[in-house]
Amino acid sequence: MLILDTLLIGLSSGAIYALMALALVLVWRSTRVVNFAQAGQAILSTYIGFEAMNRTHNYWVSIPFAIIAGAAIAAFVDAVIMRALSKRSHKGSVSEIAPVIATLGLLGLIRSLTGIIWGNAYVQYASPLSGKGYSIGHHTIPFSPQNTLIVIGALLVMASFAIVFKYTNLGLALRASSFQPEISRLAGIRVDRIRTIGWAFSGAAGAVAGALVTPTSYLSPNSLDLLLVSGFVAAVIGGLDSLIGAVLGGLILGIGFAFILQYVGTSVTFSAAFIILIVVLFLRPRGILGSQIGRRDA
Amino acid sequence: MRKSKSMSALIFLAVGIFLLIASNFVDELRVYQGAQVAVYVIAISSIILLTGFSGQISLGHGALMAIGGYAAALSYIHWHVPFLASFIIGSFSAAVAGFILGLAAARLSGPYLAGTTLALAVGLPSLANQFHVLGGEQGLSFDIGEAPMWIAHKTGGDFTQYKWFFWISTICAITTIWFIKNLLQSRYGRTWKAVRGNPSAAALSGINIGQSKVLAFTLSSALAGLSGALLAMLLGLVAPMAFTLTLSFTIVTGAVLAGVTNLTGSIVGALVLVVIPELTDAVATHLGGSEKISANLPGLITSALLILTVLFAPNGPQLHKRKKVGNPS
Repeated sequence: MLILDTLLIGLSSGAIYALMALALVLVWRSTRVVNFAQAGQAILSTYIGFEAMNRTHNYWVSIPFAIIAGAAIAAFVDAVIMRALSKRSHKGSVSEIAPVIATLGLLGLIRSLTGIIWGNAYVQYASPLSGKGYSIGHHTIPFSPQNTLIVIGALLVMASFAIVFKYTNLGLALRASSFQPEISRLAGIRVDRIRTIGWAFSGAAGAVAGALVTPTSYLSPNSLDLLLVSGFVAAVIGGLDSLIGAVLGGLILGIGFAFILQYVGTSVTFSAAFIILIVVLFLRPRGILGSQIGRRDA
Repeated sequence: MRKSKSMSALIFLAVGIFLLIASNFVDELRVYQGAQVAVYVIAISSIILLTGFSGQISLGHGALMAIGGYAAALSYIHWHVPFLASFIIGSFSAAVAGFILGLAAARLSGPYLAGTTLALAVGLPSLANQFHVLGGEQGLSFDIGEAPMWIAHKTGGDFTQYKWFFWISTICAITTIWFIKNLLQSRYGRTWKAVRGNPSAAALSGINIGQSKVLAFTLSSALAGLSGALLAMLLGLVAPMAFTLTLSFTIVTGAVLAGVTNLTGSIVGALVLVVIPELTDAVATHLGGSEKISANLPGLITSALLILTVLFAPNGPQLHKRKKVGNPS
């Protein structure tokens, strides 16, 4: 029974990690940047969802607001900052780390902005669904209606991504321009524009993660930082450029964390993230489904 | 462009004596801020050594500072070593951690290394809650006490604890810069520059790339550990709250603002980091003293500066002009 319970906890948190990993992988594939600002973008979109809920008093209405905001913020970040950065890619010792620094700067910028607008205090972005686990007979399982929503929401995002990427022209263009930007440009794809659309998808995935996970705890300008780290570890486990890998990595990490939480202790969880990451990078640097030899030729 | 070593040593000595004398003529708060600047100078130059000269990035130096701080405090509390020895122990412990991390880091490229060190920065401080000896959320107190009597006597008796802190950290900072400056002119410095400029050519000339990167990471971690121990001294305690993710980001920000290949720029970077909260505080009180603004305005401005620097002067404000002369890659 205990093992089953732990698996269920892992399933729900794994779904959230998978969404975050998807967001990171989408950007990595098209831009070759690990978007550390993703945590900030998701925070801002979640606060916008929070604001929408305060106005409308309806959690369900606030979710689309958050998703649209997330997509818009990401598109803005790519079109305004990332594009400028890649156009001015300077030679020199900073050229490799400049994108990392830029996304860090963005993370700080967005975080401070949300702090100025909404304050640093914890707020509740509450969902009408109960956070209490279902009970079967006398046993209460650690899986609540909100967890169900998280899993369903994540599945919906993954399914729609799968459909878009597999069956639409847009998906084809997205895949082509991240795979071979030069050739795609010659084939008539507006690579810059497609890339911004890819960022928008990524922002939407992050926004869903933020809007679904926040009701289970609280909202503050840095409440999603840990999620960013988990998302990154999940993405690396899956292979930083595979969408399916991101989902698998998220689930593996979620379930792994749940077992560590259950059998070792709470405060080691995030050191465990670091250790898992190091082990993966040493044993199988390209991840489970990564196509590249990876990490060196970024 | 080899300046004579004794000449530059003299300049460092003069700057140091000037700063120490100057500390007599400003008020307590400024002395404390001066000590803060000195601590940031060490932390930033550890990043400059790593990123600017060895081409590696670390978002986890806050964690290495935590290792330095905790090791210094633990050795001071439990082994009753003199405080200077505790700094050395802190620095050494961080170097050992950095050596292990460096072994992994040497095999990772930019974004992977950034993410891995980020995971360290997030994970490590929370370990304080797991082990009783680390004092949990409250941390451990680290009080090195007042200055020894003979200094107080020589300077006329009003030698405060902050001034003592300022002396210690300033001397450490100047020694650090002097040390790195010499190191960069040595064989190791040339090796790092070669590896950063063109790894394949460096490997062909017989340089062991992995070894050179691990060495840079270890030395940089030792400096981070020293600055962590000094930070703990300034705060009077070590606690997870003192070594947050924000600290890691802050020193990287300082290094970028300094110009990551400009060692003396670390002073500019450190000054900016200390001055901006001061300025924004004034602005925030002017705007009505809202808590929301005063708490977040420094972050807003440093982040904006960071983005602008990366976009418009990625090699740092000073070096930008002579960029063309710089490393051919």
